[in-house]
Amino acid sequence: MKGSSFTYLLKEGARNIWVNRMMSLASVGILVSCMLLIGSAILLSINLNGMVSYVENQNEMVAFLEDTADDNVVASVEAALAQNSNVDSFAFVSREEALERYSEVVPESLLESLQEDKEEVFPLSFRITLKDLSQIKETTARIESIPGVMRVNAPTNVAETVTGIKRAVYICGSGIVVILLAVTLIIIANTIKVTVFNRRKEINIMKFVGATDLFIRMPFVVEGILLGVISACAAYLLLWGGYTYLMDYVQTQAAGTLSAFLKNLVPFSQVARQLLASFLVGGVAIGVFGSMIFVRKHLKV
Amino acid sequence: MIRFSNVSKTYDNGTEALKNVDLEIADGEFVFIVGASGAGKSTLIKLLLREEVPSSGAIEVNGYTVNRLKRRQIPGFRRSLGVVFQDFRLIPTMNVYDNVAFALRVTNVSTRDIRRRVPYILSLVGLASKARCKMNELSGGEQQRVALARALVNNPKLIIADEPTGNIDPELSYEIVDLLNEINKVGTTVVMVTHEHDLVAQFNRRVITIDNGSVVADDADWGQR
Ligand SMILES: Nc1ncnc2c1ncn2[C@@H]1O[C@H](COP(=O)(O)OP(=O)(O)OP(=O)(O)O)[C@@H](O)[C@H]1O
Ligand SMILES: [Mg+2]
Repeated sequence: MKGSSFTYLLKEGARNIWVNRMMSLASVGILVSCMLLIGSAILLSINLNGMVSYVENQNEMVAFLEDTADDNVVASVEAALAQNSNVDSFAFVSREEALERYSEVVPESLLESLQEDKEEVFPLSFRITLKDLSQIKETTARIESIPGVMRVNAPTNVAETVTGIKRAVYICGSGIVVILLAVTLIIIANTIKVTVFNRRKEINIMKFVGATDLFIRMPFVVEGILLGVISACAAYLLLWGGYTYLMDYVQTQAAGTLSAFLKNLVPFSQVARQLLASFLVGGVAIGVFGSMIFVRKHLKV
Repeated sequence: MIRFSNVSKTYDNGTEALKNVDLEIADGEFVFIVGASGAGKSTLIKLLLREEVPSSGAIEVNGYTVNRLKRRQIPGFRRSLGVVFQDFRLIPTMNVYDNVAFALRVTNVSTRDIRRRVPYILSLVGLASKARCKMNELSGGEQQRVALARALVNNPKLIIADEPTGNIDPELSYEIVDLLNEINKVGTTVVMVTHEHDLVAQFNRRVITIDNGSVVADDADWGQR
């Protein structure tokens, strides 16, 4: 293709947008709205997930070692934990530390009643956090089978709840996004259909002056790309502004326990690039394929 | 050259628009096609342009076997001729210049050649001063001349016009046909459909009469009678 026809196609695409500016505006409006809805749904589920993960990380299990455990046993348990693929982190708790932790939660008087060697009451233990709470039962069993481990205290109930919430968030989130995507596709398809229909005469004329199908399609495709890119950028900027504002607001308003939660909100910068990329890809793909499909119908003369 | 060999066209709804038409138009001829409304004139033109395909028979135009053209050959074939439609078929959002230049752009002509060719054609049809006008700022006759300019701009060997004077007054009609006449003098074949007998009578040309889907008369010098 010659340079002159390339610039022609670009100009023609831009001209079409301007000439049909009401329709273009409508298309951009619809695309932006859909992208905003989808983006919000994604951000919401990411954040819910983040909060649940926060709860998850607050939960740890404790593996108590047998009374007879010596340094060698501690080392071998340590090695076994390091090899377990579901163990995220673990920390050794000495008797002194156990006592210390215990005294924080138990009244002084109760401590006094213990014997001389207060520390000896407490077994050696490991505090363990898991990567995947949904596998807590299996992991507990495996850790209990490590020689030298006496018993494992695991928050199985909490784990099940958290896993359930996570799954629900995931299913609802993806369900909503899929529904929104479907609605978006239907609306956009109709918009493109109307746009192309409005210009069927133009397409017909092009056919009779000997334009190739590709040549007729290109301005529509260029138009689709331009509208897709414009919409993606607009949606991205709106979502960025809105989300950042909302996050500031929520974090300054919230107090107490809630603020601990909200500290875990995902900052926009963390998802910005993927979001912009998917908006661009989605917008351009819809524009291009939509116009390809619907122009085709009018090319048959 | 145009050759129809035993061409029939029956539309999907069963209408027999053309029946066993045999026809030959040599290069450089000027031919009027006349006939009553519904006789099949537009159908003949549609077959010529490959807007419709014949139900049977063969059509040859400019060396192309039109009834057997493959999809990808159609653009090339259509570039070899110029068409003027009764309803103009101009693009309302483009000005006069662009409507004409358009026919060159779609065929990959360079911008430099377009800038040379379009003003020349516009002055030929007397619209040089209206180049920047939009379609809704033009009279019917002016729009018709834009359509004619578009048909002429890529210098086709054959001009096909379906009632190019259908929407304009007799004086302007005469001018349009006169213009086609001039173009024919430099070697372009012209096929023009009309039902204005007065107009036909003013030019001493071959006239093919169609009635009820058949060629009923083919007079080499109708104007002389
Ligand atoms: N697409 C179509 N489908 C079905 N029948 C058609 C179609 N186009 C034309 N016809 C029929 O074919 C016959 C010939 O029509 P055509 O348009 O060729 O006539 P015409 O000579 O151009 O008439 P006019 O002078 O009124 O333009 C008519 O009976 C018409 O109703
Ligand atoms: Mg007709």
